[in-house]
Amino acid sequence: MMPRPIQHAARSPWRALLLGTLLSALAALAGCGEDTPESRGAGFAGLGEGTAGFVQAGPETTLGFPGDHGAHPDYRIEWWYLTANLEDAHGVPMGLQWTLFRQALLPSETTPPGERPESTPWAADQLWMAHMAVSRGAQHGVAERFARSHSAAPSQQTDGQAGAVASPFRAWLDDWVLASEVTEPDADTFERLTLTAFEGEGDGEGKARLGYRLTLTAEGPLVLHGRDGFSQKAADGQGSHYYSQPFYRVEGEVTLAGETHRVSGRGWLDREWSSQLLSPDQAGWDWFSLHLDDGHRLMAFRLRGGGQDGGDYRSGSWIAADGTTTALDSQELTMTPLATSPVAGREVPTRWRLEVPGENLDLIVEAPHAERWMDTTVPYWEGEVVARDHDGGERLGVGYLEMTGY
Amino acid sequence: MTTLLATLLSHYRRHPAQLAMLLLGLWVASALWSGVQAINASAKESYARAEALFTTGLDRLERLDGDALTRDDFLALRRQGLPVSPLLEGELTAPDGTRLTLIGIDPLTLPGDSAFATAGSTQELTGFLTPPWQTRLAPDTLPSLGLDTDSAPGASPRLAAGRLPPLSLAPSLPPQTLVMDIAAATVLLDAGERITRLVTAPGALAAAPPGLALTRATTLVSPGQLTQSFHLNLTALALLALIVGLFIVQAALGLALEQRLAMLRTLRAIGVSGRALVAGLALELVLLGSIGALAGIAGGVWLARALLPDVAATLGSLYGAGVGVELRLPWHYWVGGLAVTLGGLLLAGAGVLWRAARLSVLDLGRAQAWRSGYQRQLGRMSLAGAAVAALGLALWAWLSRQPAGEGLAAGFVLMAALLLVGALWLPPLLAAALAGLGRLARRRPLAQWALADLELQLPRLSLALMALLIALSASLGVNSMVGGFRLTFLDWLDQRLVADLYLDPPAERFEAVHTWLGERPEVAELMVTRHGESTLLAVDAAGASRPLARPVSLFGLTPGERLTPTWPLLETHTGREEAWRALGEGAAFINEQLAVAEDIAPGDRLTLTTPDGQATLAVAAIYPDYGNPRGEVLMAASELGRRFSAPPDSIGIALAPGADAGALSTALAGEFALGRDALRDQGAVKHIATGIFERTFTITRALNALTLAVAALALLASLLAQAGERRRRLAPLWALGVPRGRLLGVQLAQLGGAALAVGLVAVPLGTAITWGLVAVINVAAFGWRLPLHLFPGEIALTLATAVAVALLAALLPALRLWRTPPRTLLAEEAG
Repeated sequence: MMPRPIQHAARSPWRALLLGTLLSALAALAGCGEDTPESRGAGFAGLGEGTAGFVQAGPETTLGFPGDHGAHPDYRIEWWYLTANLEDAHGVPMGLQWTLFRQALLPSETTPPGERPESTPWAADQLWMAHMAVSRGAQHGVAERFARSHSAAPSQQTDGQAGAVASPFRAWLDDWVLASEVTEPDADTFERLTLTAFEGEGDGEGKARLGYRLTLTAEGPLVLHGRDGFSQKAADGQGSHYYSQPFYRVEGEVTLAGETHRVSGRGWLDREWSSQLLSPDQAGWDWFSLHLDDGHRLMAFRLRGGGQDGGDYRSGSWIAADGTTTALDSQELTMTPLATSPVAGREVPTRWRLEVPGENLDLIVEAPHAERWMDTTVPYWEGEVVARDHDGGERLGVGYLEMTGY
Repeated sequence: MTTLLATLLSHYRRHPAQLAMLLLGLWVASALWSGVQAINASAKESYARAEALFTTGLDRLERLDGDALTRDDFLALRRQGLPVSPLLEGELTAPDGTRLTLIGIDPLTLPGDSAFATAGSTQELTGFLTPPWQTRLAPDTLPSLGLDTDSAPGASPRLAAGRLPPLSLAPSLPPQTLVMDIAAATVLLDAGERITRLVTAPGALAAAPPGLALTRATTLVSPGQLTQSFHLNLTALALLALIVGLFIVQAALGLALEQRLAMLRTLRAIGVSGRALVAGLALELVLLGSIGALAGIAGGVWLARALLPDVAATLGSLYGAGVGVELRLPWHYWVGGLAVTLGGLLLAGAGVLWRAARLSVLDLGRAQAWRSGYQRQLGRMSLAGAAVAALGLALWAWLSRQPAGEGLAAGFVLMAALLLVGALWLPPLLAAALAGLGRLARRRPLAQWALADLELQLPRLSLALMALLIALSASLGVNSMVGGFRLTFLDWLDQRLVADLYLDPPAERFEAVHTWLGERPEVAELMVTRHGESTLLAVDAAGASRPLARPVSLFGLTPGERLTPTWPLLETHTGREEAWRALGEGAAFINEQLAVAEDIAPGDRLTLTTPDGQATLAVAAIYPDYGNPRGEVLMAASELGRRFSAPPDSIGIALAPGADAGALSTALAGEFALGRDALRDQGAVKHIATGIFERTFTITRALNALTLAVAALALLASLLAQAGERRRRLAPLWALGVPRGRLLGVQLAQLGGAALAVGLVAVPLGTAITWGLVAVINVAAFGWRLPLHLFPGEIALTLATAVAVALLAALLPALRLWRTPPRTLLAEEAG
């Protein structure tokens, strides 16, 4: 049987416009190479001008928690991005993704006060988009939602249709909620989270119901990427603020096609914000997050174009089980696509070789199922991967791969 | 061929009146036809846009208690995971007084594809969502803002409510509709946190959330469906006009051929082949047809422009369907208009071509040759008429076995057959009458001559007289139907509108107003009405259950002392009083439309959807419901509120004897500060209803009058065409000593008599048409049967019209005759 994405959100031309907007946003982040989706092939020339008037991400900013878990409306784009590799009670692998994207509609610093929307009812300066995906074997369910908010309307900070507050941490759009369960005053709010998101009507058992109710427990510290959380995205120095919590143990229930599975496994939460768009010559990116069985984590991304001499720009983090992080630059990391699969009318690389010579790491990373196309307003590929030793072939871990611009 | 064509056309240089008549006929016929088609096309285009609008086709949520929903309701439902989207709707008044519908949407949550969004860019969405926002509107809305397509984009017109966001054109939007982001609409409508309703994709919710009423999109009838029969009626009238116009054309063509017979024979004799001759004549037809059709389309567009505001007003008030008052014509309209006119012309000219093709070179023009030929023709006409009559009878027999309400198209065919039979039998009938009268007038030579002369004229006049008959019968039929409807309708209004005052309190203050009114001494009785929507799921009749899925509206009234004695009922199960008692105890009445459409009788049981599931109601009676395009189920307002959670709608106030309505209304205004329009007295309501009624038939009447005018033209044209020949025939009479005044009188009497005869035939024919309209067409088109009313005044008027038209048509030739010196007449005869 053909896997059919369970598409709940109807497509509309408006969404297509949105796509454009978010795309530029994502493209900006995309620069970061981490998580954002973006659309295929489009050149992002000209979008760079839009960054004026937003606060720029730079290495001089020091991140602070829990404050930086919340939204940064003065930056152009931002996301909360969770991926998880799970198994059901029978040991069948499952994957899931939940993402909340934020985009500022107006530059915060250069828009004259008269042109900024007053916080009248419905007036908005922030646009929100959330994606959810659940996969199991050839099945792949996808849903997306949109919302608006006003960063200057006090009630909307905690009570709007969508938002993200730092303390007590809660990021939400409609009934899709990622919230902290931490009550101890000195603990980081990301230590224990719950994630609830369902698509389909009401709370009952809809036919095409899709979603999950999960508990995430951190088994390691937060990890700052790049230089103290400033992750460079191109040779010209632009970049984003980027940190992760890659050590989650995940427990809970996942529903796909109306069937609920009890699951457990590992999760990875990314946080990133920036005002920078992709540089004009960057066509897209490939991003890996791997949980290795020996306790290490590996984050690696490649921006196609935008490196020195027009080559790829690569960057990554080698993370020990205790959270000790080694930043990897283009020279310390190679990423080679080995084979492609036809997905949604395009060829997408689903078999890769990842090498970190400094850590004596040489991996073959492969997606067991190629049908992980996110047929959302902003389409991209995102799915589970398995990492094996290049020479011996033994399985070393699991993870997630995101690819945009194909 | 060019020479041939030039030779053929040279005839019209000598007889410009014939050419004028031919073109006039074509022009008028095609103008009426294409005018109505233009109106239909414009209206359809408006419906298509309205149906494509995102607000239609979506399920709706409103509060059960009728209060306004707020932004918090939206947020609360979204946080429960329900895919609802807010919609704010309101009205703005344009500088020229036009009412514009303003719709505020949230494009981020609005479900589904919306035709409203045209291709756009990133900037466009950001522009739509952020200040200064955007106003989307169709180009045909611009005139009411005093703008045109060049000046509009980006303009920001000021209305009473404030400045509109910069305009952006979206041709797919319905007319008089502005769409913008809900944030901008909230400011313009000063709506605060209020929204009009929540919408959701069809079927997205299995049931309404607590406290809300869910109206499925499928229960909302589209304007296109509602107005279908209205447009079919228009089309039928236009077709009638086209046919009448083509009668003129055929008369003119026949005459032109007859007068050119000699020329044609000469042409054949000098070696022009029969085929070339026919080709030449056909080319001439196409040429004339093209000119006539183009002029007709131009005239039609003009006519449509003149009539469209009335049509739009009618459709708006009758069906709530928004129709732009600017013509919007698709390409197929133009092609169709040309094709219909040319097709009609070729049909009318086919006989001419046929005769030209069989033209014998040696056949000399024999003056009396027509006589035997015409006798044969009369015989054929009688036979054809009998055939059509048989067909009509068969159709009628078939129709009478169909369930009521079926067969609208067959009904029109039946009407057409009636008219055709009348038209075909008219010449044989006239010929027989003339022959009979001729025998009677044997002693009176002048009368005998007049009758014989009329018989001689008959072949050429008969087509014009047939056109007159059709126009007269149709006019009589339609006018009697409208008049009868009017009487019935006014009567029905009187029976239904029993309260002295009608009040539309705002939903949130309904209870307070109701309580306050209940305590006033002036008030004798309060009659609350409620409105709701439902789907009729099944009808149980005689133990058998028929499943259905028909959207119906629900109407609740308060059966009290004032209402029940007069409120009209057509049919009851066990008597009037029993029916009202049953209604009070939870039974339902249904309107005639629903009864006809679904074949429901009193005593049957209905299964309807309710917010909680289903309800079964017994049908106690059927009531007439003129002007309502939809099926309706009526029950006691309290029951409607309890079982269907329908919100209250209005309060009818019956005043105590001697109470002062003015004092009550002043006190009410002082207590609640209701708007001026909230309280209306019975007279005002009746006035509005009759106004709507009158407007509905404005266009019917206009088309009718125009058709009659075309028929008069046909007669005039026929007479003018043979004026010369007539003069020649009158000359010997004058020479024999008949004075000119007498001759004139004879002429007028001839035509007046013929027209009177036509008028007399038109009376029974028109009555039959009225019956067909009332008993077949109306039932099928609207679902209500009307009593057959005949109006002697109308009949007299028809006869008078016939005679007047004939005399008017005879007057001009007669005057020319009067002014012609007798010597000239004799000279003409000699020549």
